Amino acid sequence: MNSIAEQIADFLKEYAPFNFLTFEELSNIATNIRVVNLEKNKSLFQINDALHDSFYVVAQGVINLSVIADAEETLLNKCAPGDIFGLRPFFAKNNYMMTAKAREESLVYAIPIATFRPFVANNSEVLNYLLESFAVNTRNPKDKENLIGKLISDNVFYSDQQSEMQYFQSLNYNTSPLVTNRNCSIKEVALLMTESLKDNALVVENSWPIGIVTDCDMRSKVATGRYELHTPITSIMSSPVITVVENISLAEAQLVMLKNNVTHLCVTQDGTDKSAIKGIISEHDLIAAQANNAGVLIKEIKRAQNPKELKQIRNRVTDLIQSSISKNIPLSHVFNITSEINLAIIKRSVELSILDSGSPPARFAWLSIGSQGRKEQLLRTDQDSIIVFEDVAPEKYRDVKDYFLRLGKKTTATLEKIGFDYCPNGHMGSNILWCKSLTDWIKQYDNWMNTPGENSNDLSSIFFDYEITFGEQKIEDAISDTIFKNAKNNALFYDFLGNDALRKNSPLTFFKNFNLEEDGPNKDKFDIKTKALMPLIDGARLFTLSFDIRGINNTFQRFKQLSLTDSKHAEIYLNCAEAFLTLSKFRTLEGLKNDNDGQFINLEELSKIDREKLKNALAPMRELEELIKSKFQLTQFS
Amino acid sequence: MLDWLKNINKEYPEFWKSYSSKFDKKSSRYVILSTETTGLNPEKDVILSLGAFAVKDNAVHIGDNFESYLTQYKFLHDNGLTNEFMMESTIKKSSEPQAIQSFIEYIENAILVGHHIDFDVAIINEALERMGCGRLKNEALDVDVMHRKLNDISDKETSLDTLCELYHVPISDRNSAADDAYKTALLFLKLKSKLKIK
Repeated sequence: MNSIAEQIADFLKEYAPFNFLTFEELSNIATNIRVVNLEKNKSLFQINDALHDSFYVVAQGVINLSVIADAEETLLNKCAPGDIFGLRPFFAKNNYMMTAKAREESLVYAIPIATFRPFVANNSEVLNYLLESFAVNTRNPKDKENLIGKLISDNVFYSDQQSEMQYFQSLNYNTSPLVTNRNCSIKEVALLMTESLKDNALVVENSWPIGIVTDCDMRSKVATGRYELHTPITSIMSSPVITVVENISLAEAQLVMLKNNVTHLCVTQDGTDKSAIKGIISEHDLIAAQANNAGVLIKEIKRAQNPKELKQIRNRVTDLIQSSISKNIPLSHVFNITSEINLAIIKRSVELSILDSGSPPARFAWLSIGSQGRKEQLLRTDQDSIIVFEDVAPEKYRDVKDYFLRLGKKTTATLEKIGFDYCPNGHMGSNILWCKSLTDWIKQYDNWMNTPGENSNDLSSIFFDYEITFGEQKIEDAISDTIFKNAKNNALFYDFLGNDALRKNSPLTFFKNFNLEEDGPNKDKFDIKTKALMPLIDGARLFTLSFDIRGINNTFQRFKQLSLTDSKHAEIYLNCAEAFLTLSKFRTLEGLKNDNDGQFINLEELSKIDREKLKNALAPMRELEELIKSKFQLTQFS
Repeated sequence: MLDWLKNINKEYPEFWKSYSSKFDKKSSRYVILSTETTGLNPEKDVILSLGAFAVKDNAVHIGDNFESYLTQYKFLHDNGLTNEFMMESTIKKSSEPQAIQSFIEYIENAILVGHHIDFDVAIINEALERMGCGRLKNEALDVDVMHRKLNDISDKETSLDTLCELYHVPISDRNSAADDAYKTALLFLKLKSKLKIK
């Protein structure tokens, strides 16, 4: 009698390949299972470890599978509950070819191969599933949705597409190239090439490549009449063939082509021309690989039909960000690309909601506020938005407002599905407070700016960073006009904002140590969002408003512009701009590492150099504070 | 205090002798156990069911388990209680001596682990005494004590459910000795690695 085994069987039967087995069979398997607990970051097996006697199913938590390509750890797959991995012992005798590591505290079921093998042998569906799982090469995230369950490749990973956004990505290439032998004539080869629609053919001897013929050779050497059609192919082939290893990255392949001035690379087992052919990489493959850029993503977003598709695209963007940062692409550039993509996603979400609920009864604008409004949203942090609709006749007002509230609810729900959490403070277009007519909004801003502090509860500075996502540009302009009109010589308002900016706790203690969280779940971590980034963001906003700089919402660009406008203090602004990028990078890396919004940084995980870097990036903040204090007489609210 | 003197010439049942003889070597096997009882007094109350799982090499072995439901006709009768649900269900039931004997044969010299294990050990000892056996000889570990040690808490008791929540052990909606034992086993694995016990 074993009731827990039955519970495990109950869990397994939901997932492939276990769904092909009967409950009794599963209970039987379950009695042989071992349950293993993995602490965060603990690895279950590593590359080159001897094979275990079991394969694994994730029961709780997330297991990361990774490989080393180009001397860098590349994430192959994240296994969620129900996913199987570590199938290698079923099919191969050599050691593990990937590392399985717990990304968070996880439980896995270890199913002994010996127990499971009979079921595989007797059940062709299970066998097929496992084989497919093991042999599947493309880890294209789009395929994933189409498969019965999720297949976790265990075998050849280099020709996969998993991180198609990476510049240092692996390549997809032709793995069954056209081969001929040295005795063929030019005509025969040309016919063969035409038939199979290939622009190249390899000349092979003992299964080693001895030369290559391309369209170009045919044009320059044959069509010009220099060689007769019946001469052997060896006379026009290019030899030796430039060969490369299997796991070559896009960047490397490009370099090899440029260096040797060739258009095709032959992939061989060990990378020399004295080993078996594995495939051929053409220039076209490189272009195709590079086509996975931001532009293509945006196009895909525009075509997406449901939140699920958008979510997939956003997942790929995360890969793009991760690789861009690790390749030292300037963060300001990454900000731009990401915010454009986010913008497109939000826009598409609004569009989808409109398609769903009919055309709007009045013109309106969907404004993103907060980090997306500033174009600084790299991680999937929470969503902030407002809806402004044009003024309508009073008798229609209720219906119109109802419509837009519904629109807001639908859109925010879509965004939540994509992975943007709801704003904890309810700063969203679905909130009855933040979905109103233009007149009401103008009144709202007038109120906030002329009598700050009175209703300060709902005044959040994020309302002053906005960006139109969808709708009428004129509405955004009207809001901007109101803000800048009110901001002119409004000492009280600056006083309020200035105090707001300075209220945050200082990031360093008196002894120049980091000011860490004292309690709560993030004890002993550094709150980089509130203590380091917010003061810079608030400062930049305050100064741009006071210098009447319109249309620039990005903190980095605000500082850059300020250094031009207020050239007396240019140095301080430029330092702040740099510091902002450095700090954002720290936060983004932390967020990517832990799949959260990266607000809290664990300093113990940073290297000493990084800690110093972080500390230095906090220095310009003091100067900015001084500048705020000297420019605005902060008396009313301090 | 002089109990052992009284018992020195006593003839123990066969299974108990073989159990006692296993303690020459230290075991690397942990048995995580949980009991369901009629109450909280080890002397007056009795066990209704027993559930246990073995942990070896940092893994819960689902197959290496023990699960038993006890009939306890006498206790129920004496106290005017009924346990219709138990009696009418189709689960296999055994009498207390049978269940305790197979349990002793199952645990061997393993280290016992449980939540507030002292109570479990005490109530099993009572049952053993009724069968003319000695007391459990196994070492015992308490997950709550481990939790206190990990967090430097002096003597606040924490319930099993709260511990499961604290350490992210999945909580099932079922409730039986076997379930509790399984949860405790997962808890034990987590605490063990956090406390770096080899």
